[in-house]
Amino acid sequence: MKKEIITGSLESSDCLIRVSPAEKLEIELETVVREGFYEHIKNLLEETAKAEGAKRVRITCKDQGALDYTIKARLQVALRKFKEEGHG
Amino acid sequence: MARSYLFIPGNVPRMLTNADVFEADALIIDWEDAIHANEKDEARELTIAYLESHRPENTRVYVRINSDEELIAKDSEALKGKDVDGIVLPKASRATLSLYEKLFSDKEPFPVIALVETPAAFFELGEIAAHERVHALFLGGEDFRTAIGAERTENAEELLFARNMVVLAAKANDITAIDTPFTSLKEAGLEEDCRRGKALGFDAKSAIHPDQIASINRIFSPAKKEIREAKRILKRHEEEGSMRFSLDGKMVDRPIIERAKRLLEKARLYGMTDSEDDR
Repeated sequence: MKKEIITGSLESSDCLIRVSPAEKLEIELETVVREGFYEHIKNLLEETAKAEGAKRVRITCKDQGALDYTIKARLQVALRKFKEEGHG
Repeated sequence: MARSYLFIPGNVPRMLTNADVFEADALIIDWEDAIHANEKDEARELTIAYLESHRPENTRVYVRINSDEELIAKDSEALKGKDVDGIVLPKASRATLSLYEKLFSDKEPFPVIALVETPAAFFELGEIAAHERVHALFLGGEDFRTAIGAERTENAEELLFARNMVVLAAKANDITAIDTPFTSLKEAGLEEDCRRGKALGFDAKSAIHPDQIASINRIFSPAKKEIREAKRILKRHEEEGSMRFSLDGKMVDRPIIERAKRLLEKARLYGMTDSEDDR
């Protein structure tokens, strides 16, 4: 069982997502477009995690200026792989 | 009808997001060779999210699916109901087309661009080109060279027979012939390679870099001189009411008239028939 799932990259317009076990849903975000977009991206991560049924996970996102569709897709794949590994 | 087909790796957001500014007539989002085995899921998810939110309006979009049965099954599931113009089927053969039919049978049967890149495919080419789903043949020159153990030469002479075969099979079935990409980034070599492909009868060329698109679009568009000539031929054809007449001392008959019609159709498609110069 893998303890951590990583998707995406640190290339421009992408984001690196790490998903690991936690007691509750925790989200950590670093973004190069912090000004004005931090809350938006954080909400997007939270909504996506909830839609995927993720409850006890720690999500860290290093955003390199990714558009919403990229962040969402990267997180969805990470959470699905995380579940496939047997995590809740 | 498209002049240029640009490969975009399906797992690179920077390329996908900017795809509409590259001015390719068509995009081929790659899920096969450009994507590492561990990243196939990410490429599918990213591509689908891109298609649902940022699909370019005036550009055709194709997806190059995988050739392995297990991966094709996942690809077909991901593409179900998605807004794509078709799929590019790698290593096209009787067998891969059957696999495609089996795995896409209860889903949307997308038009297929058959990627001809194995020596065996050339012995089945007529059948591949005649398949009801196949609407274009695409020569995959690099894999073909590797498969036959050929060396890459400056004027691609090792591909001449394969190029001729792909054009003949496509034209015999009234479908599009797409030439192999030019894999060096030298501009001069690219233009020469485009002209060579066009002279052999290819309708379009694929590209591996956005910088190649402008040259491909220009060379695979009808030239102004060709448009003027085609208009003169069709004007005289209308005046004479005949399929056989003389123009500037040269005999014009049915094939030349048909070619002029096709050329003007292409010119209209690319908005090239309205300038005063062309009248």
